[in-house]
Amino acid sequence: MDRRLFCLLMIGVIIMTQQNNEQFIKPVGNADEINELLRRYGVKFGIYKNGVFNEQFFPFDPIPRVISSEDFKSIEKGLVQRVNALNEFLFDIYHDKKIVKDGVIPENFIYISKGYLAQCEGITPKNRIYSHISGIDLVQAKDGEWYILEDNLRIPSGASYPLIARELTRIAAPDAFSENEIIDNRNYAKLLKETMNYANCGGISAILTPGRYNAAYFEHSYLAEHTGSVLVQNDELFVEDNILYHRTYSGGKTRIGVLYRRIGDEYLDPLNFLPESLIGIPNLMEAYRSGNVGIINAPGNGVADDKGIYYFVPKMIKYYLGEEPILKNAPTYLPFYDDDMKYVMDNLGKLVIKDVAEAGGYGVVFGSDLTQEKLEEFRQTIIAEPRRFIAQEVIDFLDLPILDNGKTVMRKADLRAFVLSGETTKVWASGLTRFSRNPDSFVVNSSQGGGFKDTWVLKTGT
Amino acid sequence: MSTISKEHSDRLFWLGRYTERFFITLRSLDKLYDKMIDDKQGYKEYLSYFGLADKYSDSKDFIHSFLYDESNPNSAAFCLERAYDNGIVLREEISTKTLSFLQMAKDTLTNSQSKANIRLSLLPLKDILYSFWGSVNEHIYDDEIRNIIYIGKTLERLDMYMRMKYPFADVEKEFIRLCKNLHRVPKGTPYRYNTNYLCTVVEVLGTERDYELFSDKAIKSLEHLFEPMEVTV
Repeated sequence: MDRRLFCLLMIGVIIMTQQNNEQFIKPVGNADEINELLRRYGVKFGIYKNGVFNEQFFPFDPIPRVISSEDFKSIEKGLVQRVNALNEFLFDIYHDKKIVKDGVIPENFIYISKGYLAQCEGITPKNRIYSHISGIDLVQAKDGEWYILEDNLRIPSGASYPLIARELTRIAAPDAFSENEIIDNRNYAKLLKETMNYANCGGISAILTPGRYNAAYFEHSYLAEHTGSVLVQNDELFVEDNILYHRTYSGGKTRIGVLYRRIGDEYLDPLNFLPESLIGIPNLMEAYRSGNVGIINAPGNGVADDKGIYYFVPKMIKYYLGEEPILKNAPTYLPFYDDDMKYVMDNLGKLVIKDVAEAGGYGVVFGSDLTQEKLEEFRQTIIAEPRRFIAQEVIDFLDLPILDNGKTVMRKADLRAFVLSGETTKVWASGLTRFSRNPDSFVVNSSQGGGFKDTWVLKTGT
Repeated sequence: MSTISKEHSDRLFWLGRYTERFFITLRSLDKLYDKMIDDKQGYKEYLSYFGLADKYSDSKDFIHSFLYDESNPNSAAFCLERAYDNGIVLREEISTKTLSFLQMAKDTLTNSQSKANIRLSLLPLKDILYSFWGSVNEHIYDDEIRNIIYIGKTLERLDMYMRMKYPFADVEKEFIRLCKNLHRVPKGTPYRYNTNYLCTVVEVLGTERDYELFSDKAIKSLEHLFEPMEVTV
């Protein structure tokens, strides 16, 4: 076949109509070519299997998800509202706890949450922002309605993948971008830098990584490169007189004003949290408490993205902002409440149950996947530990087309939207669309074998 | 970038060394390929430069091991893997673009194994490496960072040239290059040279005759070049 004709076929042949916005979409280039470019630029994530570390390339699908301008405006408004309320909640919880005193959220849900850190009581981060970078997972149902699946307010990852993918797809298939009115999403590093600068308490910006063998190491290094931050590990840092410093190779020290840490709260400071942590910085919390360094995101945020607290976010929006929630939660039940427990017990076989302590697609059980015997066993576990689980109706996600060995097939997909809170709260006009490669699976996490695709947000009037 | 950690300075140095070792290994094997067209045992001299035993069944076995065997610390694959290991943790310093040339080199080397004419399939590697160094110049704005990489590169080249008994004129040129890079290192930093060891190298490379007689001494001194100076009171 003529080469040009072949390329044209590969680039432009699949035109599909998306159910929600009826936009015509051309897939962006040849999947192999783009994946080859992603390989070349080292777009990888690490995964441990049976105790062995392997680096894998994150499979990219060339058919983009398209979000219309109108849809995005509504999502944007809803996400800004949600994140602002969550930031208010975090301030309240670590100060007066009015929302508990007023009976909106039971006390129990705060203090037994693993994410609640007593060490953060009374600390007010610079500009009162706790969640600087929020990763909010959404799904779109077949009726076009968007639902929030979960909030990630600790160290949400994934922005670097669509960021570099867009850079590369514009090389691989420039026509796709000149023919469609797509918002340029390559401003993420700029937004992140502004956010980091706003949280800076005086000094350089640094990104703290646990090291090369962390699953998201590519992201840590890529974001450091593009924000002009120093990528550091704990042994390069020390606290002196409540100030955080970077130890330089010549024996000097450089003050750090903001630390975008990519390690969990519990490992952050062995003198304040897990004493056995080998990746933390002793006395970091003292520097933070003294207002000498900004930490992105603030320690203690886990109390607000606990899967149990998720249930209460719409109530928070009403409580703190006096507004009706714009975006809906997936219908959720808390076995902690008697009525909800009864519903869960009666409908266990059709619900999805999530362990609130797990993340990354782990601890998610579909009742319909269990044998009768396992279902009964699980029922008893829920009765014994009602606070440990939430139950949700299975949302019939909108399937998205992906290319699988040259054929277009439909797969489940979600969207992680990134909300950055600095001087104002902004939603990045893109996001990470992850899809399941398994036709029978709802689990889209990369650690579970999922891939990703570009997310196009169309310009107004297109 | 204005702050470099000890860990990163070491990695910058070894990135330079291993990338250069990979390049010289590749170039040497290319010459050996040509030599072995006429002399099947031509690889033995190469082994002798590094004091290595001949445990290879034939020239093909030798070439395969020195190109692709990652368990052979003298192979091109081993050097490239080490260069990549160092480079991947330096992305924000050397840039994604620079790092991408190492990934390309890895892919090209791996793919060459299945090609009928290996020598031909390895030719693009030289272009990739020249591009890598071009990218180092283009994308690393911090002189201190760039210089540490170059110190690694020029030190490795001098070391390899002396081991492989390169002509004096070539070695002398490389030594001058290394000295220029060393001269740029700020005092009090780890890559500031130890005067005693540098003097030994200067002495050995003073004349062609001394180079021929005492190059081992110069090689040994290079190993200690960055040891802290003893302070006498």
